Amino acid sequence: MDPYSAEGELINIHNFFHQGQYQEVIDFDITSLSPENEVPARVLIQRARIALGQAEDVLADVQDETSEPEFAAVAALAQLALGQTEDAVQAIEELAQTAGDNQTVQVLGGIVLQAADKSDEALALLSKHSGSLDAITLITQIHLQQNRTDLAVKEVTAARRWAQDSLLVNLAESWVGLRVGGEKYQQAFYVFEELAQAPATSSIVTLVSQAVCELHLGRVEEAQSALEQAMQKQPDYADAIAEPSGPNNHYRQGCYRAY
Amino acid sequence: MQASSGMLTKFESKSSRAKGIAFHPKRPWILVSLHSSTIQLWDYRMGTLIDRFEEHDGPVRGIDFHKTQPLFVSGGDDYKIKVWSYQTRRCLFTLNGHLDYVRTVFFHHELPWIISSSDDQTIRIWNWQNRSLICTMTGHNHYVMCAQFHPKDDLVVSASLDQSVRVWDISGLRKKHSAPTSMSFEDQVARSNAQQTDMFGNTDAMVKFVLEGHDRGVNWVAFHPTAPHIVSAGDDRLVKLWRFSETKAWEVDTCRGHFQNASGCLFHPHQDLILSCGEDKTIRVWDSQKRTAVQSFKRENDRFWVIAAHPEINLFAAGHDNGVMVFKLERERPASTVHQNTLFFITKEKHVRSYDFQKNAESPTLLSLKRLGSAWVPPRTLSYNPAERSVLVTSPAEGGSYELINLPRDGSGALDATDSKRGQGNSAIFVARNRFAVLNTTTQTVDIKDLSNNTARSFKPPVGTTDIYFGGTGNLLIITPTAVHLYDIQQKKSIAELAVNGVKYVVWSNDGLHAALLSKHNVTIVTKALEQVSTLHETIRIKSATWDDAGVLLYSTLNHIKYTLMNGDNGIVRTLDQTVYLVKVKGRNVYCLDRSAKPKVLHIDPTEYRFKLSLVKRNYEEMLHIIRTSSLVGQSIISYLQKKGYPEIALQFVQDPSTRFELAIECGNLDVAVEMAKELDRPKLWTRLGTEALAHGNHQFVEMAYQKLKQFDKLSFLYLSTGDHSKLARMAKIAEHRGDFTARFQNALYLNEVEDRIQMFKEVDLYPLAYMTAKAHGLEDECQSILEATGVTEDQLTLPKFGELLPTPKPIVPTFKANWPTKAASQSFFEKALAGQLEGLSLEDEPAATNGAEDGALAEEDATVKRNGALEVDDDEDAAGWDMGDDIVPEADNDFVNVESTDAGGAASSEADLWARNSPIAADHVAAGSFESAMNLLNRQVGAVNFAPLKPRFMEIYSATKTYLPASAGLPPLVNYVRRTLDETDPRKVLPIIPRDLENLASNDLQQGYDSMRSNRLEDGARIFRGILHAILANAVSSESEVAEAKKLITSASEYTVAMSIELARRALGTPDVVNGNPDLLKRSLELSAYFTIPKIEVPHRQLALLNAMNLAFRSRNLSSALSFANRILANGGAARILESAKKMKAQCERNPHDAVEIEYDQFAEFDICAASHTPIYSGTSYEECAFDGSKYHSKYKGTVCVVCQVCEVGKHGSGLRLFA
Repeated sequence: MDPYSAEGELINIHNFFHQGQYQEVIDFDITSLSPENEVPARVLIQRARIALGQAEDVLADVQDETSEPEFAAVAALAQLALGQTEDAVQAIEELAQTAGDNQTVQVLGGIVLQAADKSDEALALLSKHSGSLDAITLITQIHLQQNRTDLAVKEVTAARRWAQDSLLVNLAESWVGLRVGGEKYQQAFYVFEELAQAPATSSIVTLVSQAVCELHLGRVEEAQSALEQAMQKQPDYADAIAEPSGPNNHYRQGCYRAY
Repeated sequence: MQASSGMLTKFESKSSRAKGIAFHPKRPWILVSLHSSTIQLWDYRMGTLIDRFEEHDGPVRGIDFHKTQPLFVSGGDDYKIKVWSYQTRRCLFTLNGHLDYVRTVFFHHELPWIISSSDDQTIRIWNWQNRSLICTMTGHNHYVMCAQFHPKDDLVVSASLDQSVRVWDISGLRKKHSAPTSMSFEDQVARSNAQQTDMFGNTDAMVKFVLEGHDRGVNWVAFHPTAPHIVSAGDDRLVKLWRFSETKAWEVDTCRGHFQNASGCLFHPHQDLILSCGEDKTIRVWDSQKRTAVQSFKRENDRFWVIAAHPEINLFAAGHDNGVMVFKLERERPASTVHQNTLFFITKEKHVRSYDFQKNAESPTLLSLKRLGSAWVPPRTLSYNPAERSVLVTSPAEGGSYELINLPRDGSGALDATDSKRGQGNSAIFVARNRFAVLNTTTQTVDIKDLSNNTARSFKPPVGTTDIYFGGTGNLLIITPTAVHLYDIQQKKSIAELAVNGVKYVVWSNDGLHAALLSKHNVTIVTKALEQVSTLHETIRIKSATWDDAGVLLYSTLNHIKYTLMNGDNGIVRTLDQTVYLVKVKGRNVYCLDRSAKPKVLHIDPTEYRFKLSLVKRNYEEMLHIIRTSSLVGQSIISYLQKKGYPEIALQFVQDPSTRFELAIECGNLDVAVEMAKELDRPKLWTRLGTEALAHGNHQFVEMAYQKLKQFDKLSFLYLSTGDHSKLARMAKIAEHRGDFTARFQNALYLNEVEDRIQMFKEVDLYPLAYMTAKAHGLEDECQSILEATGVTEDQLTLPKFGELLPTPKPIVPTFKANWPTKAASQSFFEKALAGQLEGLSLEDEPAATNGAEDGALAEEDATVKRNGALEVDDDEDAAGWDMGDDIVPEADNDFVNVESTDAGGAASSEADLWARNSPIAADHVAAGSFESAMNLLNRQVGAVNFAPLKPRFMEIYSATKTYLPASAGLPPLVNYVRRTLDETDPRKVLPIIPRDLENLASNDLQQGYDSMRSNRLEDGARIFRGILHAILANAVSSESEVAEAKKLITSASEYTVAMSIELARRALGTPDVVNGNPDLLKRSLELSAYFTIPKIEVPHRQLALLNAMNLAFRSRNLSSALSFANRILANGGAARILESAKKMKAQCERNPHDAVEIEYDQFAEFDICAASHTPIYSGTSYEECAFDGSKYHSKYKGTVCVVCQVCEVGKHGSGLRLFA
């Protein structure tokens, strides 16, 4: 059974991660998990820690386990986060040769390669996936960054067919929707609003995403309030989160000034 | 009680067996006659016993209210019929005649008649006005159990234990008893001959039909309110339906179901239903068309004896062994839901309709729900999903069911629901875009279902859950009888709980931050995290509630619309004449549904609660607005303000002097207090004022109070302590006049007037003291004269040793000259505003402000030099300006994560690149980051050359058009581009949003600019107006008409910029002393002040400029100019104060209209002002213009950068600014 499916063991931690609730990921109790799910769960935890800016600690933690391709990939991701891009890329390229079928390697490798501007390599690695929604969302994102909305739409539509209502498909679809615009803005907004306004799923990431949708919908005041909620939510994490969403702060000022 | 579906008990009383019931036609009253001989009068709405009437001896079976008079009638086992007044609470009279128990009594609907049925086998009709028996109807041969008038026709129906129902014609009786006006003797003879008489020769009432069909005695019979139908109930446990015409009557059908004697029955007043009750402890409802059972209601232990219907509203009552119950057959609350500006609701015909609040228009039927549930059970709730445009309807029928139906896209016609999905459940609501929750109360489970009706998850709610409501995204509010839980669907647990009893409805505020929990008698306001904010109790039932946009909750009770603020303050907004269900409030309109499910708009006056709200929020400007524009007075608002600690605001409302005085004292507003004290002039008030003023240290008011009170001693001491010697001396005089020696002595002491003291002692024959005083001060002559006068020699006196002489008491500070530094008067913004002091730049503060400006003149001059410097540099560096622009681009890109440059491999161009391709508007190019092409465009369009001032605007646009969407962790966020073409998805047509559009500029920046003009902050003003110009230069509008508006705004901003820079240049000339000392400067100063009045700025602002020029001219004895300014002021009209001073000025100047200083200002010539040199450009001479803002220059400035917009080249003509693609 797919551990990420609605009844799977990893559904919650996986959702936490993709909803940007990194602290909840880290606090997740993995002792009760079945053995085959333990490694993916630990990978998620390490990724969450990296997202929270604890890349150095993560690197130290996984140093001894790099024999496992999963943790080697995590180590590469940590290196990337620490700015050691070249080392990271090199490690991933090696891993891609040896353990290219490993899902974690694909996903983390995709991130590292894309971050190092090697989009084609990233796409090549990711395309080896077998039904991994993580990989699909990454592919979608890379297409979007390349401004190939058409390919992204294709990717999501295909995924939608077999993964009806998964969180990741919803997210990826919303990302695409924000590019396409028109009616899709409102649909993307519904997705993010649903996540951001429910206490159980609300996070800075979802709140910021909601705010972005509102901006595209021309609802500046609502966007402002969503951003304020995000600021209130975890002011102490603001720095940690600032890396991925940093420019938002910039944007925020821009939009405050503008209106 | 076990609520069978649909039936709602509204009131229950406990008593002995109830045999008769009557509803009051208007008031919420019910009369109950009891087997125990008591008659009770209940208010069933409040649940209170109003009165008891105990004069019958034995059971009272018949009871009825009169339709219009304050009367009721009762009949009992004491054979008596009593008529009562419920006003005087007395039995008015008794009608005797029956020879056995009286079973029923009823008033006639229009004639002064009472009909009674009795065990003596007769039916009798009485006239209650002359208290006589007018007809006895015989024919039944057993007890007559019931007899009623027909509601319109001259018919009577009766039921008897002889197993028959009889219909009687009483038209003869009516003829006999109506006034014999038109009836001649012949007519009467003819009538009596024409009509056959019964066996007793009685023609007044005749049996028309005898209806036989019941196998046992018949207990009750009733007419249909409109149709020729009769319903009867008998001991054969049957309810029979009969029909009659002019000539015959027949049995239609039988309703079988009661398994004991059926004791009562009636037709539903509005619907095709029959209600019956029986000794089998049930009330049953039948469909009168199909004669099938619709529903039944059972009581555990109590046999039902009687049932009655309210004549107007949807209420019924039934009497049983232990009291009465008042109930409704169905909920009258129409199911409805509001989404943004649309109300969706279900009509009585079970049609889904929508109502647009903005257009005030009701849609045609969107959907018919006829097939949902049973015909007689209306749907209970409606939940709308805007994402899918579907509705979720629940119905209590069949133990609760729900149905999920898509609304047709082009809703028209009464479409039957197709492809609906349904299931069992008591409540069903949408909880997310594609999820809904269904509560099943019997199994106590909540299922979360997806749109294809598959259960996605399922959980057990807290014990005893009765209802569920939306609880914010991802949450449910779960209602139990004693508490409300906030339940997280994902985590399947309750995350908050609040103990509130009996919550029935939940109403969310428009911003989703608060919710109101409505119980029968309570409103509890909670936050979205289920923290209680406030709660209030109502004695009248609360029916519905809705939030206004400002966060005020409006709720309706049975008879009022009320409001409550978050802090729990509440009040009545208006009364209601019928119960309504509020759905939305917007401005002065309250939208609601009435009980027939028709949308209605009620008008309310929101002033009171808005005022209170702004008070709570300390939004004084709003309050001010309300006070000025509405008639908000009354004792309640004053006491509210006082209670809430705002006496100073209450003060503004009060006229009554004594209240004003109290309030003024309370808030320390002594000026008002003095005014009021003067008006009232009562010693008590002066005393209080004196004390208060003393506490404030306001000795002038203290003095006034003491003077009024003639408290000379206090007054003297006050003068002493303030050091006012002259007044002290006067006090001494006054004391002398009054002959008050003590006072005189005191004053002399204070003043250290030794002679006066001695003189006084002498006058009162206190020579020793006089001598001592004189001696002590070394006035030997005086001593001698005293000795002489008294005839004593010095030797005879033994003198004590003198101490040091008292110095003259002297306060350290001569306070009398000015007041003590008084306590800062608590003059709020609000008071000032009310006192009308907010209109800035008044005459008085003009000089002060000017001085201030002139102090800073040096700095200003520096700035001017710098600016001029910059101007020169710019002249040389036309090209450099371009370089600068180029610099921005890479810099800007570096600011952002390098996303655009990831265009590797199969990448395409970003949306931003498209913008530049799609649009000829400079702003769109800026948004696309293509600053270079934007600058090229501007150069071509309006000759823009100097782009440095535009940099902030460029950056503003550039950054405002992008959003950064956090996507996968570890990767940079996704850049998206904000569009102003919201509905556009064609990449060839999308265009970026431009921040600070025209409307925004006009409503914000322009007003700020005006404010700075008013408040004499000209530096700020010039900056703001330039900012407006820059913002328009890079902007986009949505229509041609807006282009014209933009042009207007450009012109206005340009004129203001010129005007302000003229005045700033004048102030930069130097301080008034410097300027007055130097004839050249003085001349220039006067000229500039005159030019300041030339630009076409708003009239009130021009008045300020004119006032300024007039005063300056007058001070320099340029009376002719001053006169011309005064004339212009008067011609413009406006503020009274300015006009007043202009009039005075005019009068003064007209005496000698000559200018002392010759200036270059011809009041009669037409001219513009050169924006650079601030000199006139007379009409006819050649000039150059700025192609963008239209400011004018002498020809010699051609080629320089326009000083107004600081961007464009003077005299360079372009193709014109493009704002609209």
